[in-house]
Amino acid sequence: MKVSELNSVGFCCVQNKFEDAEITGGYTSDLLSDVMGNLKDGQVLITIQAHKNTIAVASLSGALAVIFCHGRSVTPDVLEAAADEGIALFSTSDNQFDATVTLAHSLR
Amino acid sequence: MKARVDFHIHSCLSPCATLEMSPRTIVARAKVAKLDCIALTDHGCAENLPAFHDACIEANMPCLYGLEATSSEEVHTLCLFDQLEPALEWGRIIYDSIQNFPNDPDRFGLQPIVTVDGDVTGFAEKLLFAATDISFFDLVPMALEAGALCIPSHIDREYLGAVSQLGFLPDLPYDAVEVVSKIPPNAKKWAIIQSSDAHQPDHIGRRFTRIETEHFTVPALRDAFKRHRKP
Ligand SMILES: [Zn+2]
Ligand SMILES: [Zn+2]
Repeated sequence: MKVSELNSVGFCCVQNKFEDAEITGGYTSDLLSDVMGNLKDGQVLITIQAHKNTIAVASLSGALAVIFCHGRSVTPDVLEAAADEGIALFSTSDNQFDATVTLAHSLR
Repeated sequence: MKARVDFHIHSCLSPCATLEMSPRTIVARAKVAKLDCIALTDHGCAENLPAFHDACIEANMPCLYGLEATSSEEVHTLCLFDQLEPALEWGRIIYDSIQNFPNDPDRFGLQPIVTVDGDVTGFAEKLLFAATDISFFDLVPMALEAGALCIPSHIDREYLGAVSQLGFLPDLPYDAVEVVSKIPPNAKKWAIIQSSDAHQPDHIGRRFTRIETEHFTVPALRDAFKRHRKP
């Protein structure tokens, strides 16, 4: 599954400057210190932490995209940081569990 | 006197702040914003406090020496001292307990330690906004014990505040709580402060607190915060 296909399973793309690569997996966490240690190259991060540090940590880990759950608002500075780093951003009103289930189903 | 105070300002040492945030620039902007007392509160590190001290002395600006600590649950907490030495000591304790994750300046930003003249003397090596291994429930009594005013930051924000990270505001002996816009219902028993959380010069003083105090010492401010509580 490619990053762009996240749109077709119900995630709403809010930042589309990214390389459309193949997704290798996902990681779900709201604690950045945990994300730093465990998010891997090629993965999608599922979180409610909609702030700039999340983008930096995602980019450092080589993640392709971030899905912000619970309809958390995404501020312009977050969009800008993600565009700079080429990280795709998606938004959903689902909670982290449901978003994770959707992504897992799509990948398998 | 009824003082205008801004106790939450980041210098260039914080990776997310702009490099223009030198101690002298901060003090100059604080004067423009007609602030009566300011605090420097970088993430997890106190190493720009000596330069901040010099900049405040030369400009005759009352100040507090602080930092913004990140608990293991990623709750941001302001710790404010009225003396430089204990603030530096507290800064070493916090920095040492930050998770060992090196900063990547290209992604997170530079973390320069500067002199009052703006010369760079070094860089903080660990990523400063990373969490410490100290739980918020330990951090608060430790900060108070070290002699600081202890104020949880931006408790109403959707991230990195006590309510967002813990789900509620624990009943601990804070001196005050910092609110950005909306006071959470259970926060009314503490004094409410507002501050700029400035990461760039023109943000200094964009939010501030008016407080009745004669002195900017920890005991005087602690009393002032007690009086500042809404009935
Ligand atoms: Zn903060
Ligand atoms: Zn801050």
